Amino acid sequence: MDQIAQTIIIGIANGMIFALVALGYTLVYGIIELINFAHGEVFMLGSFIALVLITTVFKITAGTPLALMVVQVLIVIAITMLATATLNVSIERVAYRPLRNAPKLAPLISAIGMSFVLQNVALLIFGPANDGVDRILPNINVLSVFGITNVTISAEQVFVALVTIPLLLALSWFVTKTRQGKAMRATAQDPDTAGLMGVDVNRTIAITFLIGGALAGAAGVVQILYNNTTVWNLGFRFGLNSFTSAVLGGIGNLQGAVLGAMVLGLINAFSDRYLAANWTNAIVFAVLIAILVFKPTGLLGQQLADRA
Amino acid sequence: MTAPTASTPQTKPIKPGVIGWLGSLADAAMAAPGAYRQALRRHRRRTIILTVLLILAVIYPVINREFFQAYNRSSSFPLPFPEDAVVTFMMIFCIMAIGLNIVAGFAGLLDLGYVAFYALGAYTAAFLASPHFGSVSLVLFSNVPPGFPGIHLPFWMLVPLGFAVAATFGVLLGAPTLRLRGDYLAIVTLGFGEIVPVVFKNLSAVNLDFGPIHLVNANLTGGNLGINPIDPPRFFGISFGSSSGIAAVYLGMILLVGAIVIARNLERSRMGRAWMAIREDEIAAEMMGVNLVRTKLLAFGLGASFAGVAGVMQSSYQGVTTSDFFMFSTSILILIMIILGGIGNIWGVIVGALTLTFLDKTFLPYLGQRFQAISPDLPNPSQFNFLIFGILLVVMMRFRPEGFIPSRQRAAELRHAPAGQAIGSAAVMGDAALASEELADTLAAEQVVEVETEAAVAADEAAEAEPPKDTP
Repeated sequence: MDQIAQTIIIGIANGMIFALVALGYTLVYGIIELINFAHGEVFMLGSFIALVLITTVFKITAGTPLALMVVQVLIVIAITMLATATLNVSIERVAYRPLRNAPKLAPLISAIGMSFVLQNVALLIFGPANDGVDRILPNINVLSVFGITNVTISAEQVFVALVTIPLLLALSWFVTKTRQGKAMRATAQDPDTAGLMGVDVNRTIAITFLIGGALAGAAGVVQILYNNTTVWNLGFRFGLNSFTSAVLGGIGNLQGAVLGAMVLGLINAFSDRYLAANWTNAIVFAVLIAILVFKPTGLLGQQLADRA
Repeated sequence: MTAPTASTPQTKPIKPGVIGWLGSLADAAMAAPGAYRQALRRHRRRTIILTVLLILAVIYPVINREFFQAYNRSSSFPLPFPEDAVVTFMMIFCIMAIGLNIVAGFAGLLDLGYVAFYALGAYTAAFLASPHFGSVSLVLFSNVPPGFPGIHLPFWMLVPLGFAVAATFGVLLGAPTLRLRGDYLAIVTLGFGEIVPVVFKNLSAVNLDFGPIHLVNANLTGGNLGINPIDPPRFFGISFGSSSGIAAVYLGMILLVGAIVIARNLERSRMGRAWMAIREDEIAAEMMGVNLVRTKLLAFGLGASFAGVAGVMQSSYQGVTTSDFFMFSTSILILIMIILGGIGNIWGVIVGALTLTFLDKTFLPYLGQRFQAISPDLPNPSQFNFLIFGILLVVMMRFRPEGFIPSRQRAAELRHAPAGQAIGSAAVMGDAALASEELADTLAAEQVVEVETEAAVAADEAAEAEPPKDTP
């Protein structure tokens, strides 16, 4: 029982990181029907940017005073989000916008090319080995405050929730309440009509990439502080996990992406724990294939059946 | 066969066995000059080009070994001439590119997990021609001594088996997924391409107690180490393995010629026209009576089977196969080959495969060595091959989506199809700007293009069947 509870906690923490990346996929797919293959790589580069900021720029260690650490980590998150957002918008400008009117497999192939470019840029700069940081956050069990000791919620897991949940709420507010969010939803429904109604479609698409990139950057910081490690080809596997989450929840659907990410995080955690870690990837892909074959609209799906 | 009858007096009886086979070969050789002259009369330019290319292909491995590599061995300034192993791999990758071209080029189904079928072919050969299953001994037509542990089938049996295994899995994967269009299909195939190597990697210690099956810690696939050694291909007692130098190149070349012949015939068959029809417009094709499921499944299965044969060649040639050979990047490498060469055009994808293999396995390592000779601090380009290939993909999609040697029909489609209308067609990747730019240049050609439709292709074939009318 304790073991199951512990696995669920790990699964949800994994799921939150997946959710941040999955939202990038689902936003972009929702608006231009492109599987942004390079998105996982944006996340990976975000984790490297965070790594550099933490280890060499701010030199945050476990000994840093808590108040200072909080401020520094917030700055790291802000800088990383800004950097990955800029990167994602540039990718859109260079690789996808010129292909806006081409058949839709052309930008997909372009995205695959971009993904390899970014992977190899990371390989060129950071080398082939895993890079990591020492554990920064204190090694405590948050649940011990409530007198529970047989199940652990670590400080890192709390940190994951503290970063993810506000970002998700902010995104939800942005998409549903602001003018720009309305423009995004309109463009997703019908770019031509939205354009006729005065929406600047190119700008809206760029903003979508901006938001997706920023969320991926936040996920990169979380990855570095939660798992303490990153590597140049992290983005591929992680990206496919997140993409699977987006598909599982119903691609194009924001709540669906978060739900799908939680489910997939749990699948990952339970598979690691009760099956074998070396089968987890195969299971994730089997889940992906099964959803696409049997329920391409996903759990909370949209009317995408004829697009799929 | 049958004895000669009065109605066909010119038919010679075919003697059984090797003598008869040699006799029929001689007959074919004697008939060949006549057939060649006929072909020359009909398609003078094409026939001459093909002849020259064939002769070059046949003599190139010898020249490469005797002159180019000999020069490299003796010279202080070596040039990037491919090793025999690289030339063999050129053949293997050409076969794969031709196969992927059937799926992605002819039928317009983007397959991002093509490497899975390569792996299936390679492991088929590895299981059936190695001492891996040492608890049994099955030696069949193989010059391995009888009683030797493991299953040992000869290469000529492995090729059709690899073909069949890959085709079967192609159909198995295709059956539930082919109703998905475009990018979803691409992702499903990608997932399959990732699962297959993971399965081969992980099935190294299987415990299973299911019905009549009892496995205790069974090493089915060799795990991380893969399977090693695998019997080299052997014909008439001669090995065509990795130590055989140019013999293996010629074996690969024979398989490649077979692949080209099959693919060319498929392209011009009823099925080939159906593939192109669904590539251009699935709904219209269905309305015209094309059975979508059957057509797509055949494209998937046949395309996969080429990779199966390539896989058999790879593992038999190298004598080792591990799951690490079958990464996503290999699928993408093959995809870049066909996009660079000209998706849809067999000759284009062959050029693409030769170029990319040369770049990847000879030129970039060569540059790396040169750089290292100048200064050990310089980056080694062969480590960043996919940086170059990734840029290549992005640039090709942007500026020349139809590849460097596009097929005539594809070029026509690119100029005619309004961009964006071809849903889910990997092949029709024209962009409007390109199309309008080139439209002016090709107004004259457009008349030709108009008739270059299915009917025209059929008429072309009919014309070929007729005796030549023109006299020189």
